[in-house]
Amino acid sequence: MAEGPGRFGLVALLLWAASLVASPALAAGAPLDRGAFTTALCGDGAVQGTAVEGILHASAEAESGDVAWAGTVLRALLERRLTCLGGSALLLDRAGAADGRDAATGAVRPVAGGRAPVLGLRQRALAETASGAASLLTGSGVAARRAGLATLERRITSVPEALLLRAASAETDPGLKVSLAALAQSAALSSADPARRLGAIRAVSESPSGAAFSRLSALKADPAYGSDPAFRGTLDAALARVARAVSIGDGLAVLYNGLSFASILFMAAAGLAIIFGLMGVINLAQGEFIMIGAYATYGVQEAFRRLAPPAWLDAYLLAAIPVAFLAAAGVGIAIEALILRHLYRRPLMSLLATWAVSLLLINGVRVAVGSQNLQFAMPPYVSGGVPLYADFVVTWNRLFAIAFAAVTLVLTLVILKRTPLGLDIRAVTQNRDMAACLGIRTRRVDRLAFGFGSGLAGLAGVALCPIYSVNPGMGATFIVDSFMVVVLGGVGTVVGTLVAALGIGGANVLIEPLYGAVAAKVIVLAGIILFLQRRPEGLFAVRRRR
Amino acid sequence: MSALVIDGLTVVFGAFRALDGLSLAVDPGEVRAVIGPNGAGKTTLLDAITGITRPRSGRIRLDDGRDLTRASEAEIARAGVRRKFQKPSVFPALTVRENLALGCGPDCPARERPARLARALAETGLEARAAVPAGALAHGEKQWLEIGMVLASEPRVLLLDEPVAGLSDDETARTADLIGALRRPDRAILVIEHDMAFVEAVADRVTVLHEGRTLFEGAMAGARADARVIEVFLGR
Amino acid sequence: MSGALDLSPGVPAARRPGPSLGGDPLLAGLVGLVLATALALVLLQPAPYLVNLVGQLAAFAILAVSLDLVWGYLGILSLGHGLFFAIGGYVCAMHLLAHAYAVTGTPPDLMQFMGWKSLPVYWTGLTSAPYALALALGLTAAVAFVFGLASFRSRVNGVYFSIISQALVYVAMLLMFRNDTGLGGNNGMTGFSRLFGWPMGAPGVVTGLAVATLLCLAAVLVGARVLVASPLGRRMLACRDDEARLRTLGYGTTRLKLGIWCLSAVIAALAGLLYVPQVGIINPRVLSPDLSIEIAVWVAIGGLGRLGGAVIGAVAVNALKFWLSAAMPEAWPFILSGLVLVVVLGLPNGLLDLAALRLKPTWLRRAGSRP
Repeated sequence: MAEGPGRFGLVALLLWAASLVASPALAAGAPLDRGAFTTALCGDGAVQGTAVEGILHASAEAESGDVAWAGTVLRALLERRLTCLGGSALLLDRAGAADGRDAATGAVRPVAGGRAPVLGLRQRALAETASGAASLLTGSGVAARRAGLATLERRITSVPEALLLRAASAETDPGLKVSLAALAQSAALSSADPARRLGAIRAVSESPSGAAFSRLSALKADPAYGSDPAFRGTLDAALARVARAVSIGDGLAVLYNGLSFASILFMAAAGLAIIFGLMGVINLAQGEFIMIGAYATYGVQEAFRRLAPPAWLDAYLLAAIPVAFLAAAGVGIAIEALILRHLYRRPLMSLLATWAVSLLLINGVRVAVGSQNLQFAMPPYVSGGVPLYADFVVTWNRLFAIAFAAVTLVLTLVILKRTPLGLDIRAVTQNRDMAACLGIRTRRVDRLAFGFGSGLAGLAGVALCPIYSVNPGMGATFIVDSFMVVVLGGVGTVVGTLVAALGIGGANVLIEPLYGAVAAKVIVLAGIILFLQRRPEGLFAVRRRR
Repeated sequence: MSALVIDGLTVVFGAFRALDGLSLAVDPGEVRAVIGPNGAGKTTLLDAITGITRPRSGRIRLDDGRDLTRASEAEIARAGVRRKFQKPSVFPALTVRENLALGCGPDCPARERPARLARALAETGLEARAAVPAGALAHGEKQWLEIGMVLASEPRVLLLDEPVAGLSDDETARTADLIGALRRPDRAILVIEHDMAFVEAVADRVTVLHEGRTLFEGAMAGARADARVIEVFLGR
Repeated sequence: MSGALDLSPGVPAARRPGPSLGGDPLLAGLVGLVLATALALVLLQPAPYLVNLVGQLAAFAILAVSLDLVWGYLGILSLGHGLFFAIGGYVCAMHLLAHAYAVTGTPPDLMQFMGWKSLPVYWTGLTSAPYALALALGLTAAVAFVFGLASFRSRVNGVYFSIISQALVYVAMLLMFRNDTGLGGNNGMTGFSRLFGWPMGAPGVVTGLAVATLLCLAAVLVGARVLVASPLGRRMLACRDDEARLRTLGYGTTRLKLGIWCLSAVIAALAGLLYVPQVGIINPRVLSPDLSIEIAVWVAIGGLGRLGGAVIGAVAVNALKFWLSAAMPEAWPFILSGLVLVVVLGLPNGLLDLAALRLKPTWLRRAGSRP
């Protein structure tokens, strides 16, 4: 304002702009003086700034046609497609074009002799904000409106709350509507009106999250926190409430992660436990069967990419389920037939043999495929998630693993309890010699059970693709934990394996945030050793005659 | 005064009562046979006495009042209760003599050891095989070696679990003689066996078990005449 | 024969030591060879690189013997012996750093890395070699005792014990990867400059270390041999083949297993503390479960349940590894796993089977060739 008078209608412009700033309500319904606005944009920095600020505030109330028009002009200004010629401004289709349309009237005129107004840093920021506001309010697509919102978020303190509220009430996209409401709240937090601030604080605490907590915490630095007891009391109460909700949400998230970890452990360990119960063999290559499952999944994805229509790609993860099971089961059966069959009475030697197999598999894959992490395309059903409470988001990838494990559990139980193979497996587990006397072909049962157990590990490989990284050495991440699940759960019992997997998976994620991942492992191991003092056979042991 | 007193012994596996309040007293110098159909609890009884299986309730005592109910397997063995297993359980990597030396037990007085080993070798007829690894013995020889191991410890209570299972008639007869030779006034012998002729040959009294309880106790002739025993054994 | 094998599921048919050192010509020959090598190192002064290699192989041989003692003679397969080796190695490394700091005044890298002004409390006294030795062996024995007591008391055995011991070494590895343990974290400890005041790289020191390791190997072999040929050794074999039966003969097997287990752990720690000054570094990778399994592989390849077999296996596998990791590093895992499978499937008593086929009494040959 302190600068010299501009060339065109400055006084009138100032009055117009001032009226907008002072009382947006006055502008309600009043059509925008388009000519004055474009004239102001061609003015000096101060005039530009005042005009753009004015239009930003006016956007909350102005007719949408005017807002859209202002947005077009501002975008042209930002992209240097606006040329000032005499008392009017021309919009060019592209920078450097020969003709332009008059911004106010739409008449096409040559641009010769005009000049593009220069924007200062402050003015550019304001223009971007105002243009963003226009996009948010009048953009035709969700993407355009979301982009407008993103622009506003960057300078949220200069955005009038009314504008956000208007956008929120007009918004049709539910996701964008939620973001808008949250943004409106945080804008209100810095409102000058104490009552609205208090309202906003309460409103923010209604939908608690880590972000809400830090927004509210920032208000403690506000002078009002020291001087206004009402403000202080409200803020403290809101903070306490948000903090409690956030910790509950975090707790739920921890349990959820624990559940998904336990699901993978269960799938890896169920096979181990069945095989151990049956043959007394601990398969040190079980982790590599998980790896085979994951690599089979990758192979299915690549096959889909090359052979199937692109629209089908999302289905690869489901198609991989049988493939991974059969791949791991096939390798398992081959190993049983070639190696373990010869080692039944020597379980310790079979430990070494399966270790050698795991070494072979890891290095074989390393040579054949490489040791880098595999890249997976994530279908929609395993990406993203639904925010449930505070910061707790139910992510689809983990839910996939949990659901997968649940289905595996049911199938395993059905196979063990309701099929002839299951009956044979249980019989041989409890009394091998007697089962052999009854004509059960124990060697064949061993082989099928080994294939089944290996296949379960392959399924774990599918389930963890969306969560963990996939590389030749990935099996080592799970193997020690799944051994501990077998030890804790007891051999040959699916229920014991389930309970132990939940216990160990849960204990790991519960202790981890408190004392760290290493301490979690130490405590879990110590716990298992102590537990074995009381029950050496594990939680649920199949009773066998000595 | 009994050498071994079992009082109200109950052993439970899950929902199954393998022994149900069983009481039994074996006198010193007596050879007692325990017979019964499969699943009657015979082997469980020996497991409980030797500490392999823990009873839920009841007591197992020796004549000096020592309570074995909660003792460890090693403590029970050191108290003079020895068992010969059904499957010949010798140490294949050790020679016959070394097996017998282990059989003497950790408390075996060093001065007595050579005499005991010599006696055990003589009684089992394994003198010529003393330096042979037990893994190289024939099935019957392993049975005798195991009896020899039990003998070398000079037990007060001797438990024999189906000592003639899988043996030829010849070997059975020889085993019966051996058991006769094992009989001593201060020793109680408890035999579990299916072979009735063998039981009749060696036992003073029999106890018939059925479903974890005593069905009959007395002389073998009495058992043969007892209606309930006949019903249980023959299913009539 | 089948009955006998049924009772010893974990271990191939028994190998029985004779009554004296002379009763095991292989072992007597090996001890002689070890002593002769030590003498040759002193007299012939070969290249320091070669001397160092011999010293490292000897340390691995000690480690293998320690495992053979519990696995071959007691039937306990530890997949966590790397832990005891590492305790010896770490304490030795701490001593070397503390000692070099005291002698030269140059603070170890570790202190600068952690930003310490002085070494933490638990380094106190480690400048003294006898204290370090006592700490290494004592700490190992204590750890082995606690773990062994917990396991053996509750009768955890067989494969169960193996995988729990593997979890133990795995957890220890995770622990040592942390920097805040004050033991070098991920980088471990290196830069040892002094040994008993002498500069580390001097040929005399290199030879001295190798000779000391060889002498320790000879002593461990003779000691282990005396143990397994004693009545206690018979009890070990009996326990290996049928622990339950041994208990019913009146022997408390927990004490027996615990004692031998702790002894074995202490020998492994001795190997570790001889090994570390020779390679000049220790880091948490020594605690990786794979390395602990490899120890078992040496023993299995050399011949389980024969002290000489453990030595032969450790030396053969590691010499091959030294050579191949330089010549064709990618091929090594394949060769190692192939070796394991061949031995496990075809040679139940390891390489000794190849040599011994015609020398053994017939019953042993029959037992040994059974899968």
